[in-house]
Amino acid sequence: MTVRTIEVRERVMARNDALAAQVRERLAAHGIWAMNLMSSPGAGKTTLLERTLAELGEPLDIAVVAGDCQTQNDADRLAAHTGRLVHAVVTGGACHLDALQVFDAIEHLDLDATRLLIVENVGNLVCPASWDLGETTRVVLFSVTEGEDKPLKYPKMFEKADWVVLTKTDLLPYVPFDADRAVRYCLQVNPNVRFLFVSATTGDGLAEWFDFLRRSVAPLARV
Amino acid sequence: MHELSLAIEIGRLAEEKLGATAPRCVAVGVDVGTESGVEPSALGFCLESVFSDPPWRGARAVLSCPPGDVFQVTWLEVEDDDGPND
Repeated sequence: MTVRTIEVRERVMARNDALAAQVRERLAAHGIWAMNLMSSPGAGKTTLLERTLAELGEPLDIAVVAGDCQTQNDADRLAAHTGRLVHAVVTGGACHLDALQVFDAIEHLDLDATRLLIVENVGNLVCPASWDLGETTRVVLFSVTEGEDKPLKYPKMFEKADWVVLTKTDLLPYVPFDADRAVRYCLQVNPNVRFLFVSATTGDGLAEWFDFLRRSVAPLARV
Repeated sequence: MHELSLAIEIGRLAEEKLGATAPRCVAVGVDVGTESGVEPSALGFCLESVFSDPPWRGARAVLSCPPGDVFQVTWLEVEDDDGPND
């Protein structure tokens, strides 16, 4: 037996990133703006999407890829609010979506009839941050029932976010959550991140959230 | 689970590098940067599991933790069959 060494020096994420680039190119060719929506479990992704689909599903031609660990409960909940396709990706226990899953999922969507694609990632503040899905923008939901130091505990997630949406703001009077401090911690890890504040229960802040989506999609309108 | 999916991807990448006529791989070198967001001990545990299954037959994972966010497969150590001795 002869032992020899093969030099490799290849990034572990190289294949995922190449697939993400293909997803991005494909969506751009169809004029689609894509959001990777991330948060810890229970921060309100599905509830916010329910309100969003009810208000803007048709006007903005929204399609959804809903990722979940073991069930398609979220996809079923969302499908009740829209006639448009909600595609479920069950990861089989994996803690994040990857670009291959999104690459496969968009095969099931009518891209010509879509202007906004929302990818609801698996609830987790660690793993999804490392995986490029081919999105245009990254949005992290941060609920006021969590500790305000989450950005310091999970810096990669917040470093890579374009927007942070503080959710469940109707609960602020009842929880010891310091919103100013939370914003400060977010800015500490990512000085360029922007903020929205919403309560999907009372509707506070939803107008700003809807405006953000309308403004984001508008420049990509097809000619 | 994060580290397990990364370990599976490392296995896939290494298999691709070994090619169709794969020699026996005895060790896989991986750089896990201190800022990579990957926990080396968890990754090592997951790689042990991945490498216990065919076609690996017990290959070792050798992890290095340089500064920075590098996360790459650096080398493979393989055993070539020299054939029967005359």
